[in-house]
Amino acid sequence: MLTCKEQVARSSDYLDGQLSFRERLMVRHHLMFCPNCRRFIRQMKLMQATLRKLPEPPVPDLDHLAEKLAADRRRHSR
Amino acid sequence: MIANDDTQLLQRLLAGEQRAYKELVSTYQSPMRAVAYAIVGSRHADEVVQDAWLSVVRNLSGFQGRSSLKTWLLTITANAAKGRYKQNRREVLLDDLPAPHGTLGDDRFAADGHWLLAPFAWHQDTPEALLTESELRDCLEHTLLSLSELQGSVLTLRERQGLELEEICNLLDISLSNVRVLLHRARLKVFATVEHFEETGEC
Repeated sequence: MLTCKEQVARSSDYLDGQLSFRERLMVRHHLMFCPNCRRFIRQMKLMQATLRKLPEPPVPDLDHLAEKLAADRRRHSR
Repeated sequence: MIANDDTQLLQRLLAGEQRAYKELVSTYQSPMRAVAYAIVGSRHADEVVQDAWLSVVRNLSGFQGRSSLKTWLLTITANAAKGRYKQNRREVLLDDLPAPHGTLGDDRFAADGHWLLAPFAWHQDTPEALLTESELRDCLEHTLLSLSELQGSVLTLRERQGLELEEICNLLDISLSNVRVLLHRARLKVFATVEHFEETGEC
């Protein structure tokens, strides 16, 4: 059986589907019996979802850049 | 086949419609910057993105839709970065370490590998609830900026942009095992940040 520390070390690979079949079973087996590690994985997933929702900083000078690119395009296609 | 959204946007871009460029830039500037940042570092990332935009405009008529618009834009950015600054990659890549890839601080675990200090239960259980706290948002931004260039970029491309690991490998010219290590280390740092914030209310 994996230790908690070994489970944490495999957590990203587990979440990304990068583990072999055997290793995935070992992690699942560990999670079944370990509430602390279940909480860890649940909160890792919550952290991932939070990063996805974190607003991107606005692009500086967006209007200016868009104007320049559009003008370049019109010039280029002439 | 070109995705429907891409087709419509593409027509407007080809026509030189300014609003379409505004949409394009606000959607894709951030992942493009992450790609540039990973390859050439913060000092040259903005220049590379500028170059990439010019190249996008010049080559737009040649976009065949064999990949998504996003993949095409990121590939142009990666090429712009590699072409100009391949020699300047500032970060030394890790050796191809075998998995598994490290863990939270060793002091969190007992000698037998079980939790000594178990994960603290966070007060919130949705991203929306977590992000209502502006201090946490600032704290996350701060942590993302404190990551190494490669770690930060790989995390952005994976979590915020939803790229597959293989796409990240191809764009950044790094091995799958490197991407996995970088991603894991970056995630653990962000995890520790949120946990600390939830526990103490401080960044």
